[in-house]
Amino acid sequence: MTGATRHALGAQVRRDIALGWRGRGQALVMLGFFLIIITLFPLAAGPDAARLRPIAVPVIWIAAMLASLAGFTRIFADDVRCGWVDQVALSPLPLALYALAKAAVHWALTALPMLVVTPLMALMLYLRPAEMPALLLALALGTMALTLLGLIGAALTEGARGGNGLLAVLVLPLAVPVLIFGVLASTPADGAPITPHLMLLGAVLLVLLALAPLVAAMALAEAEAETGA
Amino acid sequence: MPGEHTTGLVIDGVALVRGMRVIQPALSHTIASGGMTLLTGPNGSGKSTLLRAVAGRLRPMAGTISCAVPILYVGHADGLATTLSGRRNLVDWAGLNGLRADDRMIDRALAAMAAEPFADLPARMLSRGQRRRLALARLALSPKAALWLLDEPAAGLDSAAAADLDRLIAAHLEEGGMVLAATHTPLGTGKTHDELALEAHP
Repeated sequence: MTGATRHALGAQVRRDIALGWRGRGQALVMLGFFLIIITLFPLAAGPDAARLRPIAVPVIWIAAMLASLAGFTRIFADDVRCGWVDQVALSPLPLALYALAKAAVHWALTALPMLVVTPLMALMLYLRPAEMPALLLALALGTMALTLLGLIGAALTEGARGGNGLLAVLVLPLAVPVLIFGVLASTPADGAPITPHLMLLGAVLLVLLALAPLVAAMALAEAEAETGA
Repeated sequence: MPGEHTTGLVIDGVALVRGMRVIQPALSHTIASGGMTLLTGPNGSGKSTLLRAVAGRLRPMAGTISCAVPILYVGHADGLATTLSGRRNLVDWAGLNGLRADDRMIDRALAAMAAEPFADLPARMLSRGQRRRLALARLALSPKAALWLLDEPAAGLDSAAAADLDRLIAAHLEEGGMVLAATHTPLGTGKTHDELALEAHP
């Protein structure tokens, strides 16, 4: 990476953090959505440990997926509409790195808060504290993979009419492997947090880490701003 | 202009399409160092599309575009995040382009478009003309040899700001820079310029 690229990447990351902080209401809405989905289960199934404990991990995973999905549409929307992507395309910062920076900041501002409150939610569903490390580790990797899938979806649906619904239909099926490996990795048979399933989840994450920014860059290459006049 | 006129921008046989329609079958044009070309033509003749093609934001159907120098593009969209201040937007843009711009240079750039009075307000609170001035303030940070692509640069500007823009362009040409501007209103730079008149291809 050349100095100019690194300099540009730093500027983009700082800008995204500033934008994320100004728009923190959206991250809070996602967090609220996550909490509400999970809280609905004890209300619907009854506060019975024997019923809640087996579904605790799947419920948390599905809640994380649905809550994340709500935030993906916005990843590139403002930057494309206001013409910032045009400026990035002409700068020393490759669009793929720009997309990766977007994903990293988006994850830190939206998924990280979910991970922080997850132990509390897990306790409510009668998960034992000893089971938390495996869940948190898998959920951390899983939400990163989801964010990268969302990155592809967000870039592809940029400019598509009714992009929101399309994004969900596009991303959720692709997220199935993440969900399966994630849930298995969150419930290790012997309690040790590092399992083959976690490694498979990690492999999925690495593949997405290599591919998602490139695919997003291809989709953004000709994304057009709204003509302002 | 003393010294040799190095050719900066070469547009060779470029065909432009919008949607499924060919709007320009074959365009050729060159701009040399210190040269300015005004793109004219009726609405829909492909002025903005040509600028976007030169900026590399869309692939022409045929032909080639080559440019040997850095490109600055000020399109219809101002490229300002509405929740950030104009100053912050300009600092981010300078950082993105690896331009070492300290506070004094940023202040000077804002002053060049008389944008300091509102530079610290969030961009969403500004009028269209004020945002335009912030977008054009980038030009004051431009490297000397760069090619400026301006899409209706004076749209929404008052006469004082239009004069500021003319001064920026004149100084840029003086230093050997190049300008390709789509415009309906003539720019008052006092510089000689070429005109590339696009015809409508219905």
